[in-house]
Amino acid sequence: MAHAQSIFTRCVLRLVKGLEVLLVVGMAVLVVDVLWGVFSRYVLGEQTRWTEELAVYLLVWISLMGAALTFREKGHLGVDYFVGKLEPSARRLSAIFVEVIVFAFSAFALVHGGWNLVIKTFASGQVLPALNLPMGYVYSVVPISGVVFCLFAFEHLMAYLSVDFDLKTSPQSAEKESD
Amino acid sequence: MDTEALILLTGFIVLLLLDVPIAVCIGGATVLTIYAIGDVPTGYVVAQRMSTGIASFPLLAIPFFVLSGVLMGEGGMARRLIDFANFLVGGFRGGLCYVNTITCMMFGAVSGSASAAVSSIGGFMIPEMTRKGYGREFSVALTTTSATTGLLIPPSNIMIVYAVVASNVSVAALFVGGVIPGIVIGSLIMFAAWLSNPSRTAVESLDASERPSLWAALIGALPSMLLIVIVLGGILGGVFSATEASAVAVAYALFLGIVVYREIKVGDLHRILLKSVKTTSVVMFLIGASQAMSWALSFEQVPQAVSVALLGISDNPLVTLLIINILLLIVGTFMDMTPAVLIFTPIFLPVVMSSGMDPVHFGVLMIANLCIGLCTPPVGTCLFIGCGVGGTTLAKVIRPLLPIFIAMFIGLMLITYWPALTLWLPRMLGL
Repeated sequence: MAHAQSIFTRCVLRLVKGLEVLLVVGMAVLVVDVLWGVFSRYVLGEQTRWTEELAVYLLVWISLMGAALTFREKGHLGVDYFVGKLEPSARRLSAIFVEVIVFAFSAFALVHGGWNLVIKTFASGQVLPALNLPMGYVYSVVPISGVVFCLFAFEHLMAYLSVDFDLKTSPQSAEKESD
Repeated sequence: MDTEALILLTGFIVLLLLDVPIAVCIGGATVLTIYAIGDVPTGYVVAQRMSTGIASFPLLAIPFFVLSGVLMGEGGMARRLIDFANFLVGGFRGGLCYVNTITCMMFGAVSGSASAAVSSIGGFMIPEMTRKGYGREFSVALTTTSATTGLLIPPSNIMIVYAVVASNVSVAALFVGGVIPGIVIGSLIMFAAWLSNPSRTAVESLDASERPSLWAALIGALPSMLLIVIVLGGILGGVFSATEASAVAVAYALFLGIVVYREIKVGDLHRILLKSVKTTSVVMFLIGASQAMSWALSFEQVPQAVSVALLGISDNPLVTLLIINILLLIVGTFMDMTPAVLIFTPIFLPVVMSSGMDPVHFGVLMIANLCIGLCTPPVGTCLFIGCGVGGTTLAKVIRPLLPIFIAMFIGLMLITYWPALTLWLPRMLGL
């Protein structure tokens, strides 16, 4: 059991590292891509056709994958005021409930719904006009990020359910900032 | 209200109270509602609405303004803006108050983040004001509220969020429309500080020796302020779209931070990019979920139901606006600005537009309103950060906050009932 757990933890950490690299590269490409669009229009005289398309779909990818990673760090906005008033034991229960809800939503809407979306889109033969790629690739981020969401929810659940769990020390809330 | 609308509402509120991430509250309640409606493949619709909701070129401005904001914030802008404001108003009695507010307005505008303004400017100004004899709590209250004005002054991410959910509202018009209201609220905050400020009698103004020379102040601050000029000028001059302007802002902020101010190292970029992606993804995930919800909302004709309910109270649009303002003030006390804008724009905007209100005007009103909520307990992001930076407690800050709240509320009423305050400038510019 302990062995399986440590393998799981190691895999999760590796996944997190991988995601971080992916997101940083994605963001950098996004900036360069849109700047290239402006540059090509003013300096080369004709806007490169694929810049807007690439940027928009890259945004979908980094947004959903980033959302999954941010979920692991408890960085999403929530209303923690009322839960904060609860007894520690009740708070633990509500924390478990939250993970179950996130897991259920991700599994149903993102993984199951997203998978259907990908299958139907590939079947429809829809193609991105400028990049000439099947549209299904864009949507495939939905089920993929859904799986990652589920994985992180599972990781949180394991922590909450472990015997020596202490609500005060774990999990740390990330700095929440959106405005 | 029929069963499905009730499911949407109850589901959302229950999940919200239990501290489920708001995006999942929205998404989960939407799943239940669409499932109850039947006849549609629920997961498929939600997945599709979420991903296509994010896939929009105007929304790309958000990651870019977040990134340029982080770059500017870390690139030594705070110190230089303070010097500049110090040069402008530091010589007056109680001058540090005005230095604080004006710096927060500029920093909040350029960085696009009220939270960053509180921590960066507050980190320097609160100890400085305390050292000069202003109350620590007063300084925290002033910084916290001043920082929110930057959200009205462009560039502003929350305006892009509003423009996207309101659909067909020009980002450029919103940006320009926010300028005067932002300055008005900032001025009212300074006026409240002047009225309630113990320094009028007790505190000496800054010494001349502590004030930078005109030249030094200008050289330091102008490059930062130029970012606003580039963005607004570029958009208004038709040189580039708001999204392209935001990407240019990133390039400019990089250049400034690495080459001119030399406070960002290439090695920092990984961390800065990662931080920006995370902030962006929080906003985007919320936007995706609310795009799914707005489908369910309009299917269930919730805006019409709300409209009927509001008109049942009074058919006077002035009263309707007052009720909406009060509801938003209440929402703002426990919810952050982005989810509040995403959830309530599709509900309230059709109501006010049917009585002839300009969507640009309503957007500015809504943001000005929710700015107050950022500084109110029980949940006030800016207030929490301010208390943390200033090393004081929430309870102690409430008293000095009250007069400033009154000033902000007066500003909100001016914005609400005097449309020209918002709309004059964009109309002048033909937007």
